[in-house]
Amino acid sequence: MLELSDIGVRFGGLRALDGVSLSVADSEIVGLVGPNGAGKTTLFNVISGNLRPQRGSLRFAGADIGSVPAYARARLGIGRTFQIPQPMHTLTVAENLAVAQRFGASRVDAQAAAEILDLVQLTGLASRDAATSLSLAELKALEVAKALATRPRMLLLDEVLAGLEAVAKRRFTQMLADIHARYKLAIVIIEHDIETISTLCPRAAVLNFGQLIADGTPSVVFSQPDVVASYTGTVPDA
Amino acid sequence: MAARIVAWLAFAVAAYALVPFAFAGNLYLMSMIIASLTIGGIALAWALLGNLGGLVSFGHAAFFGVGSYASALLVMKAGWPIGISLLAGGACAAFAAVLMLPALRLRGPYFALAVLAYAHIFRIIATEWKGLTNGAGGIGNIPRFPVVFGYDFSSKTGAYWIVLSLVLAFALIYAWIRSSHLGLALRAMHDSEEATRAVGVNSTLAKALMLFLSAFMTGMVGAFNAHYINFLEPDYAFSGLWTMLPIVAAIFGGYRTISGPLIGAVVVYLLDQLVFKAMMPIGHQIVLGALLGAMILFAPQGLLSIFARRRPRMASASGDA
Repeated sequence: MLELSDIGVRFGGLRALDGVSLSVADSEIVGLVGPNGAGKTTLFNVISGNLRPQRGSLRFAGADIGSVPAYARARLGIGRTFQIPQPMHTLTVAENLAVAQRFGASRVDAQAAAEILDLVQLTGLASRDAATSLSLAELKALEVAKALATRPRMLLLDEVLAGLEAVAKRRFTQMLADIHARYKLAIVIIEHDIETISTLCPRAAVLNFGQLIADGTPSVVFSQPDVVASYTGTVPDA
Repeated sequence: MAARIVAWLAFAVAAYALVPFAFAGNLYLMSMIIASLTIGGIALAWALLGNLGGLVSFGHAAFFGVGSYASALLVMKAGWPIGISLLAGGACAAFAAVLMLPALRLRGPYFALAVLAYAHIFRIIATEWKGLTNGAGGIGNIPRFPVVFGYDFSSKTGAYWIVLSLVLAFALIYAWIRSSHLGLALRAMHDSEEATRAVGVNSTLAKALMLFLSAFMTGMVGAFNAHYINFLEPDYAFSGLWTMLPIVAAIFGGYRTISGPLIGAVVVYLLDQLVFKAMMPIGHQIVLGALLGAMILFAPQGLLSIFARRRPRMASASGDA
């Protein structure tokens, strides 16, 4: 589905991404973890087209998408959420979805929109103003709903669980599992909570200082000394 | 809904029939009304670009001037019929806006200033390209509106009907776009352009379309004006007043609404020309400036918002009684 090869991004003297290569298969769920500043969101920005890498290539569904702009990548089937929810404030929840439906990968009908709202548990809030009446958990659910409404083949979820309390986090994790079961789409999720990643993702990839330092099953990855060191700040034994 | 349709029909009857019936004998007043609608048409186009495209333009004088020169020259040098040349004037203004596309990368005041500078270029071209425009000497004897089915549209009432039809058509187009999916996406872009791109909206194209449409409308108004006043010169056609007055009118009436810029243009222009000018023949614009300042301070949403605020208060007062 997605193939990243030797991706490099520099911000001035800072190497935000340094030779990252990563593949994601159809219907696969991959947890992308790493300490703050590791380059996770930068990688999402590269995949979604918000940022052009200085080096490397990107292929999605077999096509080179390196020069494809962000809006066109959404139409190709790459949906994403933002770390800080970005609802369209002046629109209602239903109108937020309508924009995504109309301009996304394929035009979905009202029934599909209702199903998405039901999946993310926003059914009763469809006519609410997105700006003033939604809690953080609801805003995060709206982010997911907007991305789903574009009919993506791959979903990039940027810390959708961050800031949620334990019960809401468990409910949200179950919701993501339901979404995956329902739509069979590939999901890459950035998350700091190791337990959530272990529950949701059969595979985890770890970034540190812009480099991919581990990629495998969560149990194996999270026991690797250099992964532990990247979080704790200690130097692994030679 | 039915009440709204009835209200619009009543307005249309009043605008098309009652105004000429009441004022056709007063040529000066009809001239003022036509001028106010001319400004209203530009104000509507300017507000469309600001509201839907999210772009504040200080360069609409360029579109007005290009539209007026294009229409006048096409009729005089190529023999085009005026009906077609009005559309061509709009199309030429939209084409002029294409050259403005690089400025779409800029935001806020940077875009506004880039467009202001851009507008000045057209004034220079119109002045220096003497072979085509006769330079600063201007173009005289621009053909007037023709007689159609026995009715002389070069008359005050005829010109009034033409400009009224133009601005009402613009208002309908504006309302249609605003209620469409494109309008929804444009409103969404104001909140977060990045988020709208992430759901598949080509935000640059959407903004460009609004720029072209706004330029087209302004160009058509310019073309109308050229055949109405029958004379053009660069300092007049590209005057900064064609930018400034519509902005004042739109802000005065309420630029977030569709009817606000039109009502603002009619009220501002008629107040200035018929009331303030009579009181202060010299420097009457000072009163207008003070009034605008007061509006921005006390009713920043425009004139219509004052009535919108009064209505529920009056309704609740009558309910209490």
